[in-house]
Amino acid sequence: MEAFLAGMATLTDPLILGMILAGTVLGIVVGALPGISGSTTIALLLPLTIGVSPIAALAFMGSIYCAANFGGSITAILVNAPGDPSASATAIEGYRLAERGQAGLALGMAAVASAIGGIFSVVMLIFAAPLLARAAYSFGPPEYFALAVFGLSMCAAIGGDGRVKNLMTAALGVLLATVGIDLTSGVERYSFGIMELSDGINFVPVLIGLFAVSEMLDQSTRRAEEPKLITMDAAKLPTLADFRKCARAIGLGSVIGAFIGALPALGATTAALVGYNETQRWSKHKHEFGHGALEGVAGPESANNAAVGGSMVPTLALGIPGSATTAIILAGLIVQGVRPGPHLFNEQPVLLYAVFASMLAANLLYLVLGLGMAKLFARISLIPPTILWPAVFVLSIIGAYGPNQSMGDVVIMLVAGGVGFLFRRHGFSPAPLIMGLVLGGMLEEALKQSMIIFDQNPLGFAQRPIALLLLAVTLAGLLGPMLLRMLRMMRPQKEAV
Amino acid sequence: MTRNPPLSTTRRSLLGAGAASLGLLAAPGLLHAQEEKFPSKVIEVVTHAGVGGGTDITARMMMVQAPAALGTEFTVVNRTAGSGAAALQYAASRPRDGHTILLITQTHLLTMLRNKSLPQFDDLVGVARATEDPQVIMVKAGSPLADPRAFVEASKERGLKYGGTHVGSVDHVAIFSFARAGGFKAPTLVPFRGGGDIVINLVGGNIDVALLNPAEAEAQITAGEVKPVFVLSRQRLANMPEVPTAQELGIRATAATTRGFVVLKGTPEDRVAKLEAGLVKAMSGQVFQSYLKSSGQAADSVAGRQEWEAQLAEFNEQSREALTTLGLLR
Amino acid sequence: MRMLPDRACAAAMAAVAVLAFAATYGFDEVPPGLAQGLGAAEFPRLVCLVLLGLAALLFLGAAPRNPPPRVPATGWATMALAVGFLPLMMVVGMLPAMLVFLVAMGWLWGERRWGVLLGSAIGLVAGIWIVFVRLFALSLPGGWLGERLFS
Repeated sequence: MEAFLAGMATLTDPLILGMILAGTVLGIVVGALPGISGSTTIALLLPLTIGVSPIAALAFMGSIYCAANFGGSITAILVNAPGDPSASATAIEGYRLAERGQAGLALGMAAVASAIGGIFSVVMLIFAAPLLARAAYSFGPPEYFALAVFGLSMCAAIGGDGRVKNLMTAALGVLLATVGIDLTSGVERYSFGIMELSDGINFVPVLIGLFAVSEMLDQSTRRAEEPKLITMDAAKLPTLADFRKCARAIGLGSVIGAFIGALPALGATTAALVGYNETQRWSKHKHEFGHGALEGVAGPESANNAAVGGSMVPTLALGIPGSATTAIILAGLIVQGVRPGPHLFNEQPVLLYAVFASMLAANLLYLVLGLGMAKLFARISLIPPTILWPAVFVLSIIGAYGPNQSMGDVVIMLVAGGVGFLFRRHGFSPAPLIMGLVLGGMLEEALKQSMIIFDQNPLGFAQRPIALLLLAVTLAGLLGPMLLRMLRMMRPQKEAV
Repeated sequence: MTRNPPLSTTRRSLLGAGAASLGLLAAPGLLHAQEEKFPSKVIEVVTHAGVGGGTDITARMMMVQAPAALGTEFTVVNRTAGSGAAALQYAASRPRDGHTILLITQTHLLTMLRNKSLPQFDDLVGVARATEDPQVIMVKAGSPLADPRAFVEASKERGLKYGGTHVGSVDHVAIFSFARAGGFKAPTLVPFRGGGDIVINLVGGNIDVALLNPAEAEAQITAGEVKPVFVLSRQRLANMPEVPTAQELGIRATAATTRGFVVLKGTPEDRVAKLEAGLVKAMSGQVFQSYLKSSGQAADSVAGRQEWEAQLAEFNEQSREALTTLGLLR
Repeated sequence: MRMLPDRACAAAMAAVAVLAFAATYGFDEVPPGLAQGLGAAEFPRLVCLVLLGLAALLFLGAAPRNPPPRVPATGWATMALAVGFLPLMMVVGMLPAMLVFLVAMGWLWGERRWGVLLGSAIGLVAGIWIVFVRLFALSLPGGWLGERLFS
């Protein structure tokens, strides 16, 4: 308790507060810009943090990480170009809301849901990190395989015209994930001698192409139409009733995000997609999904920000990074001479609590900034399309080029833009493809690793209770609705609603 | 924030603010000054790692004090495709005037061996070694394999399951060479994405043995969950003095994660010498040394051209042999 | 007689699946010393079969729906501009190409106020330059022209 108070007390240091403020503002900006994510920013600024004290450096990096995950939602909502990959699920409903002239509503909800998710995960980090971290050891390849199957099974439910089309795009995503060098045999697949393909298809350019570029192409076909008058509702913030409606989504997203974030192999992007799916599954307003459901913003946003605290769990408690960003934060910790691990909680509690305190502060800070600026940001959707959409395209180019400085990624983005445009015209949803691409690699690798571990005997899965449980849940999720319907048909009087 | 940001370049804006859109081009050079002075412009450090990767961070740590030592700015060029192939191709496309240096790892040598259209080993000229991180054989604490002699006996009886990175990787070559030097039954490689996954699966009991850098499993070693069995270096390590080297048990195998700077052949000798002196000086500075120390890498990592080139040649031979035997080299 | 749009989609997906399946036979052999259980080709083949099955389901279950609206000339021109960005960038470099693109596409979409067009384009490119080149020191492609002029 003493350590906790001492950690909190570091917030009174003006230098630390300044670092948190700078980190939060920077985080929002880079999060909103496609092409430069929180992890890139922290990596580029890492050498600068050597000169300052460990607490100040960590407060700075932690604030960037927290705020960037929120910042990504701004561009996702306004122009359908997720500024950070983790905001891709937010774009699905958020952009529909902005199109209807309710950008302020979506932005306000994103800020609140993000902050609640973020704070929830930090609180969880404070109380349960060492305990939760043990769970990572129980997750080997068989468990990750089951988890990937679970995630992909949910694609059937995401937007678009129907289950078959969704599963098709998901399968296409999984197929794309097989491009490049196979981990277990070293054989190059579908690279056709093109070097850029031998490391596989990066999902960031695919994401930007499918969402932002295809949106621009779609807009270009509608130039002749009477321009839609976006009402000044754009700047209206959510009301208490809106929050009440989304409370369940936020709660669900926070728990899912914190858990998925804590698993080392999965990050905020998966957390947000799973959060979106589960929000939809448990929503009382399912019909709104795909047409601008506010819950569809709240769920994934709380999930991806909860994943931030979640991914700090294995990073701090095991010294094993829980995401790309924490991998760099880990490097930063080590450079500062802080050795993460279970002992950190006994040996340097003040430092830990100071980090937690600064993450809490960053979450509160972007909540205030986000709500305060939402009205201003929302006006971006009032910029004339002749200026806005060319700008979105240019930002998409740099967004695809930035992370790996690769022209190949720009080409992939353009191709994905064309494919996304065709998808739109024929009622396919892009989200399952992203899901397939993100989880497909893990599905195949985990399956092959499991088989090597089980000496090629598939019955090995029978000895893994967690994997079995997850597979059973998947089956129940797929067959459950069908069984329920059959039950209802058998006794129609009682179940009529 | 703190001090001067060493990353931002202090380019003279020749073209003025009005032509900011051409700002990328505002690097000095419009006049094509034919100075004999070296370095006369920004030095590009080409790496195969993405921003934030281990090798990228090594480059950026070196760059903090290099401008002072060489009197010019540095910038990192990340060419991630093809396990080093793109980085090598990019370097080959640049003039060989010493303004382009490559930060390479053993991965580049493996990639060269398997792809003859790239610059080959003989095209490389070593400049300086940056980091050397010895590999250590580790098992789960409490495992019957934790005793070095028991480990050797068990290895001769059955093929153990090793965790390492992908097939045909540096780890794979090291595991293969280790098992061969010890006369072990052929080991099974369970490939993973990175060190973190390997540690988790070692503690989780999914693999028998892991090949890791000491820092990758430090938390677990301290917590008594993972036990180092052999060090694959010539001498015992300062931070785990009780762990024997493999050579002490008669297994002549060494393995380390090594990174260092090279230029392509054709770069004038005097410039190579100047780069060598400048980089070694920069990396002997306080920033790089504290980075080495805190990431658990040896303080004598930084070495000059001679030692680095000898090491490269040794690893090139070892790799060729391993890849040929594994059937990965055609 | 025109095909139902969904049937055309199903046929296109089936074609992708068949081509990808065929391409697995072009993969390098896994060296015998390393072959263990599932190789490189089995998993992609399985996915191709799943995709083919789903395409068959879509083909059989296709219901008539309104075909998507025709793409107007502006749409084609926008696509041409987007594709044309690449060769332009190879020649003049990324930032100048962006400037050209912003002005050209804004004009194409009907913006005739040159002050607004040029002002916003220059402002955005300058902003990108400040953030990416100055602040984060990333190198953007200079193109053929940039190479000629400045190195």
